[in-house]
Amino acid sequence: MSLSTLPNNSPTLNNTISTLSLDFTVSFSQFETAIKQNISIDNITGIYGDSGSGKSTLLRVIAGLEKQAKGQVSFNEVTLQNSEKRDFVKAESRNIGLVFQDSRLFPHLSVYENLAYGAKRRKNPKLTIEEVLTLTQLTSLQYQNVSQLSGGEKQRVSIARALLAEPKLLLLDEPFSALDKTTKSQMLTFLKTIQQQLQLPMLYVSHSLSELQYIAEQLVVVSAGKISHVAPIHQAIHYLNNRGETSVKTSLSLTIAEHLPEYGLTRLKFNELQSTEQSIYLPLLALNSQRSDEESLIGQQLPCMIYARDISLCLTEPEHSSIVNHLPATITAIDYNNTNALITLKCAEQVFYAQISLWSAIRMALVVNANIYLQFKANAVHSYHYTGSITHA
Amino acid sequence: MTDISADILALVTTLKMAAVTAVILLLIGTPLAWYLAKWQSRFKVFFEAIVALPLVLPPTVLGFYLLLAFSPTSLPGELWQSATGSQLAFSFSAIVIGSVLYSLPFVVQPLQKAFEQLGDHHLEAAAMLGAGPIDRFFSIVFPLTKASFITATVLGFAHTVGEFGVVLMIGGNIPGETRVLSIALFDHVEAFNYANAHILSAGLLIASLLLLSLVYLLGNNLNSNLNKKQRVTKL
Repeated sequence: MSLSTLPNNSPTLNNTISTLSLDFTVSFSQFETAIKQNISIDNITGIYGDSGSGKSTLLRVIAGLEKQAKGQVSFNEVTLQNSEKRDFVKAESRNIGLVFQDSRLFPHLSVYENLAYGAKRRKNPKLTIEEVLTLTQLTSLQYQNVSQLSGGEKQRVSIARALLAEPKLLLLDEPFSALDKTTKSQMLTFLKTIQQQLQLPMLYVSHSLSELQYIAEQLVVVSAGKISHVAPIHQAIHYLNNRGETSVKTSLSLTIAEHLPEYGLTRLKFNELQSTEQSIYLPLLALNSQRSDEESLIGQQLPCMIYARDISLCLTEPEHSSIVNHLPATITAIDYNNTNALITLKCAEQVFYAQISLWSAIRMALVVNANIYLQFKANAVHSYHYTGSITHA
Repeated sequence: MTDISADILALVTTLKMAAVTAVILLLIGTPLAWYLAKWQSRFKVFFEAIVALPLVLPPTVLGFYLLLAFSPTSLPGELWQSATGSQLAFSFSAIVIGSVLYSLPFVVQPLQKAFEQLGDHHLEAAAMLGAGPIDRFFSIVFPLTKASFITATVLGFAHTVGEFGVVLMIGGNIPGETRVLSIALFDHVEAFNYANAHILSAGLLIASLLLLSLVYLLGNNLNSNLNKKQRVTKL
């Protein structure tokens, strides 16, 4: 199995959608989390919020680890708890997996024994420990003591252990936040591949939008103990732009068209919905040009992000520029603030955000509905996708 | 009966009393230590104080109240008599009950501390993998707190061997039933039989020292193994 294989997001592959119905409150001494929301989980749903916003509490309630939660929780129409009827399905009977930030591997057991712990207690075994060892590339580490593992390896064991309990829903609470950037991108790519292979619905909590943008198809925004927004990932990120909570960025998924190793670039094209023939270039994704089409990812969807501060505008088509990406667009909104202007643009159906200085905005006499060109370097296109293979270093 | 064979009988009674007490203490002390470790209430300190009482109370005080409770005219003594057909005071059962109360803190305190240190993290992980409470205790808690269980058992056993006041009050010095080493020693001293007193004293001293050395040795080994694991974990 190659970890660089990007999942095919075509709708035919999708399994049935799971639904989580939440209506509960949990109070700690100073802070109340009150959630009332139905969430449809298709593949991976991200939960985003600042630390202390209540996102981990939300996950712990679903897991059954917060007994004092008042109200109702049900998953796929099965009641997990209902405080009025004094119903409470214990954590160990919910058949929900949870991967903790601090891995929580059992120190007295080896890697293999940690995996067997979950496998021994499941109801309808389908996966074998050997299959999961292969899937998570842990076969060579199986006899090791868990204390000898690196941070990334620990989280792989933790995920493998959770998978072997064969849950109906897998919760992940900031599983990769303690890892360095390269390991994190390996793990994200790896998790996405596993999700596609097992068709297991997942809820992924993080305070990092770029992580969520890569891994999730839908985003639940939690702030001050409440769910403030639920939307498909790109829309949700653009919603957060407008709330001014994060640095403004354009979030989009593009189809990988071809690799140009001679120029060190990969070309992406807009998908059919975005109805334009335009291309966007980013630094070369596939490291090995000998790869088969599937392995070189061609035809697959790549989630990527472009920060508004990295996009500049030009009144005429910038043909004689070193900047590789330029697209025709129409201005749909201009928001001025003290020192700069945020320009919202549309290229075909795709929204872009550009942040330029106030001075440039006035000098260029920008107005809504004006046709203009936006440009950005290949390096400005960010994606968490990991193209190397996982090493056991 | 010669002094020596009487002393051997006392030794056997002592070991039997200490072993039975240690087993009962593990059965009672483990859940008690668990609830004290997990319980969050301002009344908790009161219960901790009750468990710790034998550490500071003169054993004769405990023995005196137990003697009153065990007499056939009091309710506990009466219930015992109607249930078993024999008197509770001055019986082997009486000194075991006395020892259990008297050695309780030596078993509960190390276990409570170990359970508190263990925390909930691994238990939550085990629950998410489908393990129920009893399963979690035997698959996670016990293996991770083994050193404290050994310490608690040996301390409970050794402290019971060394007990005097409670047994004196409720035991009644019956050979083969309630006459234990510490009482045999007292008898020797009273009779100015210092040679036999020396044998018993030195024997108890050396045996206790060996037993405690064993506890610390095992504790150190297990702890350093766990620490080694945790140290590497942090790297």
